[in-house]
Amino acid sequence: MIYSLLVVSSPVSGLSSRSAAEFARCAIARGHRIHRVFFLDAGTTAGSNFSVFPQDEADPVRAWEQLHDQHGVELVLCVASALKYGMLDQTEAARYERAAASISPAFTVSGLGQLVDACATSDRLMTFGG
Amino acid sequence: MSVLLHTLSAAPSSAAFKDCLKVLQPGDAAVLMGDGVYAAVPDTEACGALLATGAQLYVLDTHAQLTGVTCTAQGIGLVDMDGLVALSERYCRQMAWY
Amino acid sequence: MAEKKRLLIVIRHSPYGSSLAKAAVDVALATAAFDQRVELLFTGEGVLQLMPDQDSQRLGVKNIGRQLASLPLYDIDRVYVDAEAAERYRVNLDAAAVAVERLSPHDMHRLMVAHDHLLGL
Repeated sequence: MIYSLLVVSSPVSGLSSRSAAEFARCAIARGHRIHRVFFLDAGTTAGSNFSVFPQDEADPVRAWEQLHDQHGVELVLCVASALKYGMLDQTEAARYERAAASISPAFTVSGLGQLVDACATSDRLMTFGG
Repeated sequence: MSVLLHTLSAAPSSAAFKDCLKVLQPGDAAVLMGDGVYAAVPDTEACGALLATGAQLYVLDTHAQLTGVTCTAQGIGLVDMDGLVALSERYCRQMAWY
Repeated sequence: MAEKKRLLIVIRHSPYGSSLAKAAVDVALATAAFDQRVELLFTGEGVLQLMPDQDSQRLGVKNIGRQLASLPLYDIDRVYVDAEAAERYRVNLDAAAVAVERLSPHDMHRLMVAHDHLLGL
């Protein structure tokens, strides 16, 4: 089956972002395809390249990067949310004259149309919040 | 065909928990995760209210373990993440309460 | 874009307590703009978004009430509300920015089951 995931909460607060990444991993292991993971609102901070986690804690950003690197999972940050949370790719950093891009290269920034497409294309849409 | 899969990640005293409780029906499944796992503690008001809905109830094993909810009420099954994916295969729509 | 799926956005958060309310309206408008089917259900604290007379002028934030008033312009005309919650918070639905249909908990469940995807925000 084709799955898409919507993540609306921050990886540093609560367990949902972490659960979403693990859900994606298990879904792939069961033979499903993850069409897209769309990050909205505070969920967009999962794409931060500047977050630093203590060595004795699992790095939630790394979990997403591994899904992208190993399974080609598309990770899309909602542009309107991303800008407010300071999640800028090269293009947005240049456009708004910020010193550097702040998101991991595993993520892209795009509009809500990508969520709409994910809904239209997927057999299952799973939301992770809280 | 199974109807609704609820993922309930809010504490029993929260508005989200009450909103979820209101629509839960027999034939639905609900998976307790995050702060939702505290509703799996036996003999609590929240647990009783959940059981009374007649929905299939599960608690996510890693979250139950993390929170110390080691003893869960009869009628609430343990499920791992693979099991949650399996539930999402059977129940064709999910509603997230958080 | 692929075949049309019926999307129900379940709006559960108060208008100014978090940024999720604004996100929900944005998702609804985007879905309609891409010519996909979308309906809205306000439940729990989400019914507070329907309070009449919201005025954001002095704080310079987005007026959620006014944004909801634009839904019909995007052909979003199926808007439902948790009647119990509206009653609990004494929201005057007759004066709300958008016309709504009142539902019982049983009807809310029926509405959810009638859609392909649910998006709780």
